[in-house]
Amino acid sequence: MTPLLEVAGLAKHYPVKQGVIRQREVGTVRAVDGVSFSVMRGETLALVGESGCGKSTTARLALRLIEPSAGSIRFDGQDVTKVTGGAMRALRRRMQIVFQDPYASLNPRLTVGDAIAEPMVVHGIGNDRSRQDRVQELLELVGLRPFHATRYPHEFSGGQRQRIGIARALAVEPDLVVCDEPVSALDVSIQAQVVNLMKDLQARLGLSYLFIAHDLAVVKHMADRVAVMYLGAIMEMGSKAELFANPRHPYTRALLAAIPHPDPSRRGRVTPLGGDVPSPMAVPAGCRFHTRCPFAQARCREEVPLLREVAPGQQAACHFSESLPDAGLDYSGGLTPAATTRLALYDRARQRAGVGS
Amino acid sequence: MASATTAPAAVTPPVPAPRRAPGTLRRLVREPVAAAALLLAILLVLAAVLAPVLAPTDPFDNDLGSAMAVPGTPGLLLGADAQGRDMITRLLFGLRITFIIGIASVLLGGFVGALVGFAAAFYRRVDGLLMRLMDVLLSFPAILFGLALAAIFGPGIPAVVLALSVATVPLMARIVRGAALVVMRQDYIEAARATGMGDARLMLRHVAPNCLSPMFVFATLRFGQVILLGSALSFLGLGAQPPMAELGAMAAEGRNFLFFAPHIAVLPCALIFVLVLSFNLLGDALRDALDPRLRV
Repeated sequence: MTPLLEVAGLAKHYPVKQGVIRQREVGTVRAVDGVSFSVMRGETLALVGESGCGKSTTARLALRLIEPSAGSIRFDGQDVTKVTGGAMRALRRRMQIVFQDPYASLNPRLTVGDAIAEPMVVHGIGNDRSRQDRVQELLELVGLRPFHATRYPHEFSGGQRQRIGIARALAVEPDLVVCDEPVSALDVSIQAQVVNLMKDLQARLGLSYLFIAHDLAVVKHMADRVAVMYLGAIMEMGSKAELFANPRHPYTRALLAAIPHPDPSRRGRVTPLGGDVPSPMAVPAGCRFHTRCPFAQARCREEVPLLREVAPGQQAACHFSESLPDAGLDYSGGLTPAATTRLALYDRARQRAGVGS
Repeated sequence: MASATTAPAAVTPPVPAPRRAPGTLRRLVREPVAAAALLLAILLVLAAVLAPVLAPTDPFDNDLGSAMAVPGTPGLLLGADAQGRDMITRLLFGLRITFIIGIASVLLGGFVGALVGFAAAFYRRVDGLLMRLMDVLLSFPAILFGLALAAIFGPGIPAVVLALSVATVPLMARIVRGAALVVMRQDYIEAARATGMGDARLMLRHVAPNCLSPMFVFATLRFGQVILLGSALSFLGLGAQPPMAELGAMAAEGRNFLFFAPHIAVLPCALIFVLVLSFNLLGDALRDALDPRLRV
């Protein structure tokens, strides 16, 4: 099976200029620095990483909302970077985006119905009547009411707005939806609803997601495969189960260890990463993570580790991925069996109460 | 997936009667000050349009016998000017010209300025060039434009309108560019781009409507300024030429008789005041009424 989206060596470098009249280039911000991945049909690939590691830039590059400095993007076999005009518009119909901030991603002057219908108008789908019907259908699909179409975005809560944003993205029946931290601006209870909605829609409509997130709990729930980014490059990529159970890169380990767990016995055994992310204007030589890596050796400062297969379906960019000492931590979930049982009991009780009322 | 199917019901409890927010006009009229301003503006426009019908006499009929007649003189409700022309007639016809100057220069200058501003914000390549050009325009006072254009076309209303339009262009361009730059950075612009829409649609449907508020505020403020500037140009002899009635020119004429017959200057000034005030209030109210976020 060919992948739906295939990205190879993707890079975005921003020149840094100085001077008022004669601008000199004084450096380059390497926001995304040679990223390769692919998204299969019906699959969710999650891109995770700290703030500023280039996740969102990668997402926008994949949609060609910004022009890449290097690399290729193939969507369903077509090279997106070389397509122009009408063909690009046709491609845009098949890939849509859901944004992080539901308050900024809807035009305050358009009614919800107009906002959802707009992509259909742009692509000349249907007539006024059929578009209206479709808007009603989409609103119900995302759990809103048909009459909400005549309202304005400011009349909705953050979670509802995000649903509207999802409905807008789905209006043209895309194959790929890029989700740029779709739930990180929502509070936790609403996050669950939106994430479940997105999973449900994926199952019903066969969508592929490129899911950008920094919240690993959400990623664990959503993703099929996970790619971990650091300073504009992918450090580790693999299936969710493998990556969470057995992280092969020190950075992934640090990220997973940083998830708070309600487990007092972990106290003292987790050493958080020290220091800050280096500036993307001065990416460290060799392994870009060596400045913060607890296992760094001389080789890491000189030789760039390539992303290589370290286990079936799992790639890591670390020279010593096989010989990393076992941290002795359970990354897969922090709850004791007793606590898990108790939570399940609560859950069942809540459901019974919901049915009764 | 039980959680997904129960979730929507939790978010949207059944709402029995979807209530639609009232329309723009209704919201405008609901505010007493706005309603009064709207009424006044309509009356003023009607008075200006119907001047030839409403005016009791011909605007150029002079009767030196009743020169400087005070308001209340039989047959001359608001008195007469220094040439003995009926003030009511003069005010009605003056209002007409003043109106044309104000509206035409704000519309023309505002339109061109908005185009320049949008272009600068949208096509960043030409931004520097366009805005430096606007800076050059901004460095000339409106009066100077008036002088130059009067020299080219001869003094008169077209020269005044053109001069005031040109003086309005850079101001509007700056305001629109600033507003548009803020809007262009919003996610919904990127979302619109992601749907594959063209520049024209993006600009008209997404950028421009969200820049309306500052444009409205500026246009209504500018309307008042332009009327005063137009009056100043008339006062300098570059605008309305006697015996044409124009409120600014009438005020200028009346200033010679301020101590003997104050009404000759005061009445046109009062009318300018009412005109500018009503349009400022109306513009303010209109801006609020057009913003869906302020709908209650």
